[in-house]
Amino acid sequence: MQISTSQLYDRSSTLMQQLTAKADKLQTQISTDKRFSTASEDPVAFQKLAVIKRASANDRAYGANIKVAQSLLAQSDSTLGSVESQLQKAAELAVQASNGTLSVENRRVIGEQLTAIVQDLVGLANTKDVRGQPLFGGASGDTAVVQSRDGSVAFTDIGEPSAIPVGDGVTVFGTDSAKRVFGNISTASGASDVFAIISKFAAALASDTSAGAGAAAAEAGDSLKTALTQIGSARGSVGARAARLDLETARLTDVATTREADRSRLEDTDTAAAITELQKTMTVLSATQASFSKLSSLSLFNYLN
Amino acid sequence: MSDLLGIGASGVRAYQSALTTVSENIANASTPGYTRRTSTINEIVSTGGSSTARTANDVNGALLTGVRRASDMFRSADVRTAGADLARSQTAIGWMDRIETTLSGNQLNDRLTSFFNAAKTIAADPTATTPRQAMLESATSVASSFSATGKGLTAIDQDIDATAQDAVTTLNGFGTSLAKVNQAIAKVQPNTAAAAQLADQRDQLLEQMSAISDINVVTDDLGRATVRLGGGSGPVFVAGNDSGYVTYARGEANSVSFSLHRAGATAGLTPNGGVLAGVVEGAARVAATRDTLNTIATRFVAIINYVQGQGETLDATAGTPIFAVGTTPTDIRTVLTDPRGIAAATPGGGVRNNGNLSGFESARTAGKFEANTTALVSGNAAALSARKSVAEAQDAIRSNAVTSRDSVSGVNLDDEAVDLMRFQQAYQASARVVQVARETFQSILTIQ
Repeated sequence: MQISTSQLYDRSSTLMQQLTAKADKLQTQISTDKRFSTASEDPVAFQKLAVIKRASANDRAYGANIKVAQSLLAQSDSTLGSVESQLQKAAELAVQASNGTLSVENRRVIGEQLTAIVQDLVGLANTKDVRGQPLFGGASGDTAVVQSRDGSVAFTDIGEPSAIPVGDGVTVFGTDSAKRVFGNISTASGASDVFAIISKFAAALASDTSAGAGAAAAEAGDSLKTALTQIGSARGSVGARAARLDLETARLTDVATTREADRSRLEDTDTAAAITELQKTMTVLSATQASFSKLSSLSLFNYLN
Repeated sequence: MSDLLGIGASGVRAYQSALTTVSENIANASTPGYTRRTSTINEIVSTGGSSTARTANDVNGALLTGVRRASDMFRSADVRTAGADLARSQTAIGWMDRIETTLSGNQLNDRLTSFFNAAKTIAADPTATTPRQAMLESATSVASSFSATGKGLTAIDQDIDATAQDAVTTLNGFGTSLAKVNQAIAKVQPNTAAAAQLADQRDQLLEQMSAISDINVVTDDLGRATVRLGGGSGPVFVAGNDSGYVTYARGEANSVSFSLHRAGATAGLTPNGGVLAGVVEGAARVAATRDTLNTIATRFVAIINYVQGQGETLDATAGTPIFAVGTTPTDIRTVLTDPRGIAAATPGGGVRNNGNLSGFESARTAGKFEANTTALVSGNAAALSARKSVAEAQDAIRSNAVTSRDSVSGVNLDDEAVDLMRFQQAYQASARVVQVARETFQSILTIQ
């Protein structure tokens, strides 16, 4: 077969172009560390990557929500701890007050201490959370509880707080409403709340009869025990939810690691292989260039004189 | 003795012409479309008769009887077919590449994801303005991504139109030129360098035409080409001195069509190869992509606005639509400007309620907007990838066809160098014969 001269040149230039293109692609793969830059280079991997990317973005959003929920729960825990110690103080005072030998003056001092505890508890109930909202607030309202001029305390929040989504179909309550924490305590004289129990006790101490005061102290002591149990279980629930969030965080980290491995397998350049391939391509390219310059300098015309 | 002189002279003339042909081959060694020419030299057979009645051509000797083109019509036809197939694939690939860039360049998928995740973030802190602002920003970028993608597809359509118009104009120009070449071929003396030149021009025009549309060529005895477009059963484009013209039109529903007008008649043209077929394919792909994108955009806007309407804003009013649609389904803009206006709460739920936000997540799951967008991109990508490997194969086929044709009709300089020496020596030898004849004759004249 005869090879035409222009064919020799065309063919060589096409081959060299192909080799240069291949070297360029390998170079891009190495420098970007990505195996492909357009979907059409690997449509299957592209689709898988899209799913991975979406899942990662979702988990980032869930991760941020988990952080908010965790800080809310931590704040709830410490606030409930303070509430507990205040209630314990009140319970101690109830024990003191049940002593029949106390003077009127003594009882009045205890009553004043109890009134101060109620005020502290109102302050604790109206604690603001990291979001600037009442920690024990419901769905709306600027404060959880309001103490009126006569010292009585009312729950002003409406509804229950919303659960925070922390995973697909997984939600966690970051806070509890004041009603749930401080209210609905069953006492000998019906359902009451922490503030009312202590206020009632303080009022009973202000009355003179020591027998009446003793009975009130006994009833308040029982009620405060129930209240402490309720706060304790609320704290327990907060702790359990925090533990769940820790598990959820650990799960997100694990999944992220697995997903990163998948992503890397799909998308990342096998650098060692790519560099070897580039070296090979460059060797072939320079051999082609050398042989082309040899071939093209060969001409019968060079030998005609 | 005069015969010897005549024979020598005929050799000189014949080899001079042969050398001209060789020089022509050398000079055009890399001219595209040039077909190698060979000189045919025949012996002159004496016709007899009295020696005094003979003319110079009647004597024995050599005569250049013609210039022959080293062409092979079947191999040329192969090159044309392979070229038309390749041009179609390459044109289609060009448009699919553009679709891919438009679809993935505007990051619709990522923006949809961040929109839905922004809604999720609000759920953790429904009263704060920042996450709400972030969601509105995401909404704006989703809207601009939809409209940029839609506009990108429109731009591709416009480029398709421009390319088709260009291709049609070029094709019509080739048709006119071919008709002129046909006319000249009919008049030129066969087996001459001039005839070879015209045949070269004809073959080159046919090859260029086949890159625009697949053609069917029939050559008559004189060498005039009759060309049909779109295969053997297609309408006649060029016949003899007469050429038609092709027009391009975009019809309803964005379909594209070609018509061939010739001799007062109009026929529909269905190209199966070349740029024109690639244009038809590209236009169909753009239309299909736009349909899917429009469906996604329309559903997205409808569902998100519906969910928004189901909830209550921070100011305890019913949610108003986030998005509004303009003239085309993808022409979306954000109409909600107040971050407090995002309906996060269920009606009557209060400011810290986030009940309605789960509606966005449900809409995301039910609407499959992200999955559908990914499927749109990867569907085009898979088709493009398959098309690229077909084009690679077609490129190899065409390159083989060209090699096969050029092995017959291409110029090899070494061969020409050999011919150059051969004809030069033959020329010199013939000249020597003339000299010998003169000297021999002289020796008779000098007898005293």
